Amino acid sequence: MSNRRSRQSSSTLRISDDQMIDLVSKLRLLLPEIRERRRSDKVSASKVLQETCNYIRKLHREVDNLSDRLSQLLDSVDEDSQEAAVIRSLLM
Amino acid sequence: MELLWHNGQVVLHNQRPNAKKQPPPPPPSSSSAPPPALDHNLFIQEDEMSSWLHYPLRDDDDFCSDLFLPAERQTSNQVVTAARPPVPSTVRPPEASSMRPPAPLPSSVRPPVRNFMNFSRLRGDFTGRGGESGPSVSKSTVRESTQVSATPARESDLTRRTDGIGSRGTVDLASRSAVDGGGGAYTVGHNRKGKAVVTTEPRNENPAGASSSLASKSEIEPFNETTIVDERKRKEREAIDETEEEAKQGRGSTSTKRSRAAEVHNLSERKRRDRINERMKALQELIPRCNKSDKASMLDEAIEYMKSLQLQIQMMSMGCGMMPMMYTGMQQYMPHMAMGMGMGMEMGMNRPPPPPPPPPFMPFPNMLASQRPLPPQPRMGGYPAVQASDPSRVYGSNQQFVPNSNQAPYSGYMDPYQQFRSLHPSQPPQFQNQAASYPSSSRVSSTKESEDQGNQTTS
Repeated sequence: MSNRRSRQSSSTLRISDDQMIDLVSKLRLLLPEIRERRRSDKVSASKVLQETCNYIRKLHREVDNLSDRLSQLLDSVDEDSQEAAVIRSLLM
Repeated sequence: MELLWHNGQVVLHNQRPNAKKQPPPPPPSSSSAPPPALDHNLFIQEDEMSSWLHYPLRDDDDFCSDLFLPAERQTSNQVVTAARPPVPSTVRPPEASSMRPPAPLPSSVRPPVRNFMNFSRLRGDFTGRGGESGPSVSKSTVRESTQVSATPARESDLTRRTDGIGSRGTVDLASRSAVDGGGGAYTVGHNRKGKAVVTTEPRNENPAGASSSLASKSEIEPFNETTIVDERKRKEREAIDETEEEAKQGRGSTSTKRSRAAEVHNLSERKRRDRINERMKALQELIPRCNKSDKASMLDEAIEYMKSLQLQIQMMSMGCGMMPMMYTGMQQYMPHMAMGMGMGMEMGMNRPPPPPPPPPFMPFPNMLASQRPLPPQPRMGGYPAVQASDPSRVYGSNQQFVPNSNQAPYSGYMDPYQQFRSLHPSQPPQFQNQAASYPSSSRVSSTKESEDQGNQTTS
């Protein structure tokens, strides 16, 4: 299913333009900052990659924060209660 | 403090800057001024608008002093003797603020160099207005106070700026939004100033759309300045690039030129590729268990991972919001949430809830399970072992539960991602809790898994 040309190119250091464009556009859709900020054709691949890294780190931090909050909530709730189960499930 | 107008010139020589720092030293003349000042305000508004520009500049001196180094203010000693009191907004008596207009107009131009430079560039005739500046200053003070009321004024500012300043319009607009945030601080100061001018505000507001815009413009000037500086830098860079190209062309033979161009192009291309590779490596490190060597699949994984992360965060935040609520409400929400999550998250839920009814401490999974009875075996394909262990772990005692959660606190975000990545049956995800909690999602995920497995076999 994958593009043969892209596979060949990606195996080497070079990546096909189409493939890169496709992936970059996908990433752009996910990245809130880039989506709002600039015109779509102006964003470079390296910039998109950088934004992706930053965004993933940000998401990690959020996950940690939410985990902390959920743990705190869990502490405040009875062990056997329904909420406890939910919280644990979320934490897992 | 009131505005002091003497023969069209606003005389606040000692008031404004000092007023900011100290409780307003009442200017002797100011006390008598207010009524005439108000009248002046009204009257002044109809005057030329360009003179208003001067006034806002003065205000900026007070406001900007905090933000910008006060080094520039040497000229308007009279007005700015205070040399930027550190807390203009709080200390500034309203009248002082409005009083801003320094008698010598040109001096007002200089102190907030940044702001005024823009003005002078745009206006040109800035410095000439000695006489007009007085009333205009007062007017501008009034304008500024109106700006405090601000929200409508800002919009008018926008229009005004585009009208008045043409060339910088786009920049101003762009920076304006940025400045509005920063302008909040200014508005505070304006508020203080505006107290004295409160009475005048309503009157000023009507025509004030423009004036307030001017005032706000002055506020925004410093911010615009930075954006303008950025623009200049960009232009410089572009100019440099152009010069380089010209130098190349000037080299002489076309072959040399072409080779040089090719060299430069190769270099730049290489640099670009290096940058991209570097970022790909960084990204690879961020993605858990990314063993892909080619970029395409790695980017695919990155995309999936980001989606799963977003989804997980969404779920967790929903859970955080729901927890404080009574769990009675949860029973309604959980199925929906699980459904929504299940679509995207596929948390290895393909194990249907085990036949034995779950212990009472997990009532709602039972409820969900009853809604969606799923035959686990046919779909489970790859997780028979897991399934077998599932009941014991999930529906064991509470003590079992806790250690599970402690063991892999981070697995929350990994499990959905695992699902995305592959259907490696060998990976024993810690899905027990998730399976118990989201049987509905398990149904969805199991469906998808079966499909994926089918696809895998075929492809």
